[in-house]
Amino acid sequence: MSNKITIEEVKRLAGLSALEFSEEELEAFIPEFESMLELVDEVKNCDIGEVEVDYARHSLAECREDEPKESLPQEEILLNSPKTKKGSFCVPKMLD
Amino acid sequence: MNIGEMTLIELADNIKAGKVSSYEATKYYVDKCKEKASLNAVLEVFDDALDKAKEMDEKIKAGFKGKLAGVPVIIKDNILYKDKIASCSSKFLEKYVAQYNSTVVEKMLNEGAVIIARANMDEFAMGSSTENSAFGVTKNALDPTRVPGGSSGGSACAVAAGLAPVALGTDTGGSIRQPASYNGVVGIKPTYGRVSRYGIVAFASSIEQVGPLTKTVKDNAYMLEVLSGGSEHDETSLKIDVPDFLSQIKGSVKGMKIGVLKEIESMIGGLEVENAYRQALQYLKDNGAEIVDVSIPSFSLTLPCYYIIAPAEATSNLGRFDGVKYSRRSAEAKDIDEIYVISRSEGFGKEVKRRIMLGNFVLSSGYFDAYYNKAKKLQQKLKNEAKEAFAKCDVLLLPTTTGEAFKIGEKANDPVSMYKEDLFTIMANILGAPAISIPYGKGKNGLPLGIQIVADCLNEGLVYNVADFIEKGYRG
Repeated sequence: MSNKITIEEVKRLAGLSALEFSEEELEAFIPEFESMLELVDEVKNCDIGEVEVDYARHSLAECREDEPKESLPQEEILLNSPKTKKGSFCVPKMLD
Repeated sequence: MNIGEMTLIELADNIKAGKVSSYEATKYYVDKCKEKASLNAVLEVFDDALDKAKEMDEKIKAGFKGKLAGVPVIIKDNILYKDKIASCSSKFLEKYVAQYNSTVVEKMLNEGAVIIARANMDEFAMGSSTENSAFGVTKNALDPTRVPGGSSGGSACAVAAGLAPVALGTDTGGSIRQPASYNGVVGIKPTYGRVSRYGIVAFASSIEQVGPLTKTVKDNAYMLEVLSGGSEHDETSLKIDVPDFLSQIKGSVKGMKIGVLKEIESMIGGLEVENAYRQALQYLKDNGAEIVDVSIPSFSLTLPCYYIIAPAEATSNLGRFDGVKYSRRSAEAKDIDEIYVISRSEGFGKEVKRRIMLGNFVLSSGYFDAYYNKAKKLQQKLKNEAKEAFAKCDVLLLPTTTGEAFKIGEKANDPVSMYKEDLFTIMANILGAPAISIPYGKGKNGLPLGIQIVADCLNEGLVYNVADFIEKGYRG
């Protein structure tokens, strides 16, 4: 296999992903991840020559005028939050 | 004629003509959803469906003539319908209630549709078997020991099992076409931007599209016309006139140039789908189409290219699920970091976590150029190659999958083998091109196979014309 990955590397990715795994899950994850990397390495290792990327999605897309419009009511948006207080999302205290 | 035997167009015509009421049609399909609950194709039958049908009957009596007047429709569980749950088959959004209508829902309601249920799917549309749903696997409509495909497995199964005349799916790498093939129904991924994604829970924003799954090609063309058209809320949706797709079905392929990809020819030998593919080509040739050899030399790299671009976008899109704004927060979490980490770890399933991790890998410092930037360059190269291919032909003919539906559990522990399910479908997403899957031929267990027709962007009319012609000539 071309791309060996260490448990430290997987832990670093878990940190970036805001996910946590048990040691067992991490062990099981490594071979799966290595086979996924083997797949995507085909792109890393291929020779595609010089390509000019056209980042414009398509020429027909138009931006709308930047005018304020009615939006969704605050109280409705908050209905899906697990915890709210006085019209805000509520989280535990972060600063002492 | 029994309601269940009618095509979408026939049902719409019968309701408009007053021969069938919306209530009768809706009751018929709601009962079917309940009767066939063991398929697990739908997660919820909406309890207001029959009331909405009665309201629609009154409107029709008063002269309303929408294209979907009174017609029952099922939507995939990642499409927002105001005041209804849209869970994406994820524990994370199990109780998430849509606060607004997606553009596609709005367009269907404007035409008089009655939305009766939400369909099961792979969690956040990540998967090819609907086994990744947090709410149990959907079964194949034709063989309950097999998968329905995915991620729109619930929608495809629903149409095939007669739970609705039409269902909506979404397609990021084949998620409409592969399940359509596995259940023997018709499914299209339209041109990127043809249908607005406003109100669709985002997975890989630059390549995904909403599309209809139907029993026939003409039904599909009829439905896509309803769904198409830009939205001011979606900058990537195309603000262009919507064609009358049905009128582009000419009933002939005479003189059309059907492209055969050299790269497919070298891969297809010995695959279960080979005979069906060759027969479809021969049929088109016998009826006056010209078969043209074309090449997209980087075709074999579409799959790895997708598995860089899609996870990269997924990891960014799923960053919003933090335990603060949307439904789920872990009861174990004590501080803000724990709210993020524990809520996400409990809320996301295994495949979603894999893709978030892969996405962060290809976007992370030191790897970004080697993977993500390279994949974007490769995507451009593929677009350039496809442009040359489409200069020589009207459409390309491809298989949809390598064979018939596989057994439940068969690929569950081998993610890369599951990813290869989309070998033939991913190209259309990378190109932004329209692609349809229609049933054609049977596999070794008598289950349906699918053929794909792909055209250059905005040429759905060509796709529908060839698909309809093949459908008419196929006596499955």
